[in-house]
Amino acid sequence: MSLMKDLTNGIYKENPVFKLALGMCPFLAVTTSVENALGMGAAATFVLIASNFLVSLFRNLIPSKVRIPCYIVIIATFVTLVDMVMHAYLPALHKSLGIFIPLIVVNCIILGRAEGFANRHPVLNSVADGIGMGIGFTMAMVVLATFRELLGNGTWLNMDVLGSAFQNQPLLIAILAPGAFILLSFIMGFFKILETRKGGCQ
Amino acid sequence: MIEMLKLGLVLMLVALIAAVALSLVNSRTAPLIEIQQELEKQNAMSEAAASLMPDDSLAFDSLSIDNLENPYASCDELLQVVKVFLPPDTSRIGYVFIAYGKGYSSTIQTMVATRMDGRVSGTIILNQQETPGLGANIVKPSRLIDHLIGMNGQECLLKKDGGTIDAMTGCTITSRTVVNSVRQGLEDMNEAGLFSDEIAVDEEHTEGGSE
Amino acid sequence: MNASAIMSMLLAAPSSGNQGFDLGRMMAIIIAAIFVNNFVLSRFLGICPFIGVSKQLDSAIGMGAAVIFVMTLATLGSWSVYNLLLVPMNLGYLKTIVFILIIASLVQLVEMILQKFSPSLYRALGIFLPLITTNCAILGVAVLNIDEKYSLGYSLVNAIAAGIGFTLALILMAGLRQRLELADVPPALRGKPMAFLIAGVMSIAFLGFAGLGG
Repeated sequence: MSLMKDLTNGIYKENPVFKLALGMCPFLAVTTSVENALGMGAAATFVLIASNFLVSLFRNLIPSKVRIPCYIVIIATFVTLVDMVMHAYLPALHKSLGIFIPLIVVNCIILGRAEGFANRHPVLNSVADGIGMGIGFTMAMVVLATFRELLGNGTWLNMDVLGSAFQNQPLLIAILAPGAFILLSFIMGFFKILETRKGGCQ
Repeated sequence: MIEMLKLGLVLMLVALIAAVALSLVNSRTAPLIEIQQELEKQNAMSEAAASLMPDDSLAFDSLSIDNLENPYASCDELLQVVKVFLPPDTSRIGYVFIAYGKGYSSTIQTMVATRMDGRVSGTIILNQQETPGLGANIVKPSRLIDHLIGMNGQECLLKKDGGTIDAMTGCTITSRTVVNSVRQGLEDMNEAGLFSDEIAVDEEHTEGGSE
Repeated sequence: MNASAIMSMLLAAPSSGNQGFDLGRMMAIIIAAIFVNNFVLSRFLGICPFIGVSKQLDSAIGMGAAVIFVMTLATLGSWSVYNLLLVPMNLGYLKTIVFILIIASLVQLVEMILQKFSPSLYRALGIFLPLITTNCAILGVAVLNIDEKYSLGYSLVNAIAAGIGFTLALILMAGLRQRLELADVPPALRGKPMAFLIAGVMSIAFLGFAGLGG
């Protein structure tokens, strides 16, 4: 029961991006296309689950004074592992995601969940939390990437959606840096409205 | 003091385990990665050279500095020229080189095949991380790089810079980078005396016409 | 290896062997790092402190100064360790771990030294220092310098300029947000959404710098 709660927690109630405002840098940087968002989401989810698992497993062995450096080392190790394995076995995916993978290290969602959840919860719950947070992060990225790719390029997941007439004169701003900020602001505002509506009904 | 020592020890242990794990994985993946990159380069080279002559048995040979007196060929970041020939005949039918240029947000690598008269016969973008939907469209040949075909060093210029090539809409910087890096490569090769005009020109032109 | 050999190694560009010192190139790096590829508004690095510490002008200036300071030191440390230790030992793949450890320990060290020798500076910067470990702009600039194969001189210039760019964006943002306190913002956009909206508008302005400095 509580496992289920930990799993779904990250997807909506404590969505890392829209609610906790964590992991903004990779979130804004890779959402230029849905494909990148999915790839980044998969890589980050893997690192999140693995680091939550290890941190939770050794939570009683690591002295609390040096826990943050230890967590950072664990996270950086997994990121480098993902980088190397992907480069060797999935070169095409690595090519399109290459620059974003090292950025996972400084994704504050991962350190935040290690520090905020995994170091005081049992292994299974921590893994569930990792999965939930990872899905929540990926979904948030896909939402923003959908808007940016559709408006800025006229495609979705590289599929033609809005036709060639639009593609010749797309809303370029959406795919450029300002578009990420502005669209994120609107999405966050939308979530806020949803919340106040819900609060009003109760 | 003992407390500090213990903390340091724990940290060191964690770092050590991490380093050992990584070096193990690295020893497995590094050779694979190298093979893949070499293969990728080979494939791109064959693809570019196919524009010179569509023949599977084309062979490549890196030009060494000794027989060339080319100051540029020694620096692999700037210009690395590979000669193309059709065995058993070892006379060159053209060259392949990689042009490097700093674009809007990344270094763009363009693989270029040239004929013996110094005219471009084929181009492929090898590597770029430009803005998706904008500069990244450089990988679509029809947007820009197809227009380079048939040009020599002097003609390789954007309209804005006095040439005849249209830049891609909204990404002059990316377009300029590619065009200029290709021109730089062609000019360097020309200076090094790699191109021969006279007889080879006619042959290559008939070759081009039949494609 | 004697001292002069190390010095010449530090001053020359690593591996790629491209040109020595060049004022034009340095200006291009500075302009690019501050304006064209502003770390916050164009590269999306350091967003968390950018949104978190930009409510007050004073704290924005303090945070900016701390970031410039740590960024320069971290670049010095990471560049030296990478090019003098990791590359010769063929351990380049450990760079992410090593860099983040350098940054974390550097922040700790700076904090301790400041606390001991300059309490006034510590009071001014102290609260921002722990936040910096998780600022991806620091790791970003360290990795970027390695990827671009800059020499130590260029790396330091790039780091300082990137720090100035970060500070510039932060101070501009803080100034805008202070004014915004008095404005009538729609309830849905109050707080973070409005901050991101402003960041978007600032980012549009910074797009205008594209192409400056080659």
